[in-house]
Amino acid sequence: MSARDRTFTRRSRWLWIGLAAPGAVWLIVLFVVPFYAMLAVAGGGLNNFFQTVIPVWNPLHWSTFNLNAVWQNITGPNAFIGAPALRTLLYTAVASILSLAIAYPVAYFVARYAGRRKTMFLVLLVAPFWISYMMRMLAWIDLLQQGGLFNSALSSLGLPGNTDWLGGKSVTVIFGLVYGYIPYLILVLYAFLDRIDPSLLEAARDLGLSKWRTFWRVTIPLSKPALVAGTFITVLPMLGDYYTNQLLSAAPGTTMIGNVIEGQLNAPGETGQGAVLALMLLVVLLVPMGYYVIYTARASRDYA
Amino acid sequence: MSGGHVQLESLTKRFDDVTAVDGISLEVQPGEFFSLLGPSGCGKTTTLRMIAGFEPPSAGKILLDGTDVASWAPNRRNVNTVFQNYALFPFLNVEENVAFGMRYQSVPKAQRSSRVAEALELVQLSGYGKRRPNQLSGGQQQRVALARALVLRPAVLLLDEPLGALDAKIRKQLRIELKALQEEVGITFVFVTHDQEEALSMSDRMAVMNEGQIEQIGSPAEVYEDPGTMFVADFLGVSNLMEAEAVGWRDGECTLQVGEFHLRSCCGEVGTRGPVKVVVRPERIQLLEHGASQENSLPGMIQRSVYVGSTLHVFVQLFEGTTIQVWITNTGQADAGTAGTPVSVHLPAEALRVLGAGDEPAPAEREGEAAGTVAAGA
Amino acid sequence: MATAIDKTVSAPPSPAAVGAHRGFRGNPWRRPWAMEGFTWLYIIWSIVPIGIAVLFSFNKGASQATWQGFSTKWYIGAQVTSVLHNPSLHHAVIQTLILAGLTTLICVPLGVAFAIGIDRWRSRTANGLNFVMIFSFVIPELLLAVALFMLVTQALTFIGLGTDAEVAGLVVWNLSWPAIIVRARLASIGSSYEEAASDLGAPRLSAVGRVLLPMLTPAMLASAVLVFASTIDDFVIVEQLSSTASTQPMSVLIYANVHGGLSGPALNALATIMLVVSLLAAVIGFFAYRWLTRGERTEGTAEALATIAGI
Repeated sequence: MSARDRTFTRRSRWLWIGLAAPGAVWLIVLFVVPFYAMLAVAGGGLNNFFQTVIPVWNPLHWSTFNLNAVWQNITGPNAFIGAPALRTLLYTAVASILSLAIAYPVAYFVARYAGRRKTMFLVLLVAPFWISYMMRMLAWIDLLQQGGLFNSALSSLGLPGNTDWLGGKSVTVIFGLVYGYIPYLILVLYAFLDRIDPSLLEAARDLGLSKWRTFWRVTIPLSKPALVAGTFITVLPMLGDYYTNQLLSAAPGTTMIGNVIEGQLNAPGETGQGAVLALMLLVVLLVPMGYYVIYTARASRDYA
Repeated sequence: MSGGHVQLESLTKRFDDVTAVDGISLEVQPGEFFSLLGPSGCGKTTTLRMIAGFEPPSAGKILLDGTDVASWAPNRRNVNTVFQNYALFPFLNVEENVAFGMRYQSVPKAQRSSRVAEALELVQLSGYGKRRPNQLSGGQQQRVALARALVLRPAVLLLDEPLGALDAKIRKQLRIELKALQEEVGITFVFVTHDQEEALSMSDRMAVMNEGQIEQIGSPAEVYEDPGTMFVADFLGVSNLMEAEAVGWRDGECTLQVGEFHLRSCCGEVGTRGPVKVVVRPERIQLLEHGASQENSLPGMIQRSVYVGSTLHVFVQLFEGTTIQVWITNTGQADAGTAGTPVSVHLPAEALRVLGAGDEPAPAEREGEAAGTVAAGA
Repeated sequence: MATAIDKTVSAPPSPAAVGAHRGFRGNPWRRPWAMEGFTWLYIIWSIVPIGIAVLFSFNKGASQATWQGFSTKWYIGAQVTSVLHNPSLHHAVIQTLILAGLTTLICVPLGVAFAIGIDRWRSRTANGLNFVMIFSFVIPELLLAVALFMLVTQALTFIGLGTDAEVAGLVVWNLSWPAIIVRARLASIGSSYEEAASDLGAPRLSAVGRVLLPMLTPAMLASAVLVFASTIDDFVIVEQLSSTASTQPMSVLIYANVHGGLSGPALNALATIMLVVSLLAAVIGFFAYRWLTRGERTEGTAEALATIAGI
């Protein structure tokens, strides 16, 4: 490399740095620093008179005041966080399994068999993605309310038609989670499944496998990246969800971890505990998030 | 190896409003290396996919050793395919890929690994068993695909442009290996390609396809030397085309008039009368000194000559205006090259092929020709 | 072989050949009816309830379950409760549009420049920044919203809760859309076009401006549409970062009023307006994308749909 080349490279490098800089600053100030602020609040103290947070910015002076309080809430005699945490895991697990069970056949059909009608199906699958979450929940609140169309439909079939579906039913919350997140899941699955080379499936048939065996021995292994990515895309937001639950139930019997965090954040004197709880959730999620980032990067390389 | 007899009868495939394969019929003998050659979109791959079972035919029969398998699923047919992009399973290593089909052929477990090893040795990939497909070169992947199909000992092996994605040099090497392999295993090969050199160098017999129909079937030499149609003459190698008038006929020969000159021809449709097209291969023409009194010669003038290493491509403008190509072997003393030199072009009677009148031979003639060649080859 | 080529047979589909496909094992090329039926059921399930909700925004009565005749009173008619006349309702519409417009204007240039810079810079810092960007894509929104809340209430108090904080948060939350889409496009473009521009004498910066940016236009458009629509739909960040009622966009207002308050078809009307704005953005984006990439690929429509949906 000649001296001139090096100047050239160095000069253009400054161009790239300059282009990346505004976005990078924005990301650092408004994505990295906020989590430090969260740490400062979590490690900070409480103004007993105003019940407001006193953040501590020096890590050496962080106190375990809020951490202890949260720990008491998890293990102490008046512990109340265990149930929402377990419930969150249960709801998320059931909702994501249901979502996968519905989304996979749909995405598979459109990716593989829709043929010339693929565009039409894609429009219909993409449509819910463009309809706001709030609208989709509102639609079901209308339908599920007492005296709503769902209950009317039930009673016209001779079933009990006066159930208060919005009065704190786990079934409703899980249903809401499935309904809320499935459009994203279907699109992710479709994007992966559409890239499967059909000649691989033909090769399996050619080598003597029946339709079903081809599905289990080839299609499913080839779908693994799709299933992993799709699971993360639904599980991660479900774990931090609080509004679905609030909209469709708003009862203590269905409280999820997101509701606890959200509630503490706005409760006088408990903001610090909310910060601790949010950090705990973040730490727990760091592993799957990191795995997801690395896995998708590797999958896109391997299956390219 | 017994079996491996393939017969297609009036096989047709329509996709909505497009007819991809238009009622073709042909027969492949057991143990034969048979090529389907044609430009892209001629229906050769669709034909192969119908034999494999990936596409249901719209009409017609596919007989494998006498049984019509047209309605069978691919996994029930005793044929295997080597795909253009190899279609190796990315989540399995080489051994697992090769062993993949044996589970469903009730091959005893004990035999499987030895058969995998044999197959890998056959394609010279012993020792690569634990690698993943994406760790192999294109040529190696192609061999794995071959091993994976051959290990099942199919009656017929279908190859869909298997060399298409490879470098020119590897392609030439694999061409020889593939032919040797076919002779070794004795399985019927049906080989789809758009590369005429591939088809000519490997096939026992070949079919030239165009627009869903078969133009000609025959051995490579027959198809190359005696192209039945304009399309075949043009698609295989370089052909010079001239217009002439058939003026005299005498047992298996005819006399053609070009301007004031007369040429004798003894192949093709020598019985045709009136205006005809004549094709002649550039390597069969000789250039003589201007004024040489050789029969079957026409005067011309060198326009340009191109040096391509082993041969010299000389473009000669004939007295009546057409330009023809002449290939002269490079003997190290090539001097025919100067533009503007008048020459005499010698067109031997046995190299001049009469094609009959009109640009496109009538369908009836073409079919008669194709069927005739099938009979000759079978 | 005399009958080798027999075109008369091939003209109509031979009944024998078609019938033969129904062997005792069934036709191997049968259409997957069950899966298709299931897909249709899903589509009905996902779209019909929305249609009903839209329908009831035009209800004459105050019920969301009993149809009492068509009326536009919840949009413009009613003096107190219509979107047009109720100050908090029409304020929410305006606030949503302001947030979506500002966020798109800031987020897309920022994300595009970031993606180009990161892609070409190639260093450890660039990789680290890319990692942070992807992390911002997968993190649950609530965690980011809580962290931003801490930031603007405890550290950068000069921002404070309200529109500024909402825009700042929405930009960082959506920054990954343009960044990811543009990086994918950059990967498929490669560097040869820029090299060609340099070869023809263009300095680096003009090579980016005159060659790269035009080639990135479809990606920028797709990400603008995505950012715009996802801001319209956003709820968690704006809920945490809004202060008074005047900075609450439509989603927050609906959330706050679903159980009591301003209930009734006026909320459906508000949600329908959100839906129409998003869908309009999507449809315009789709056709603009098609137009920008015309002649570029054969699988245009499906490809355009997928890109506009961020997949």
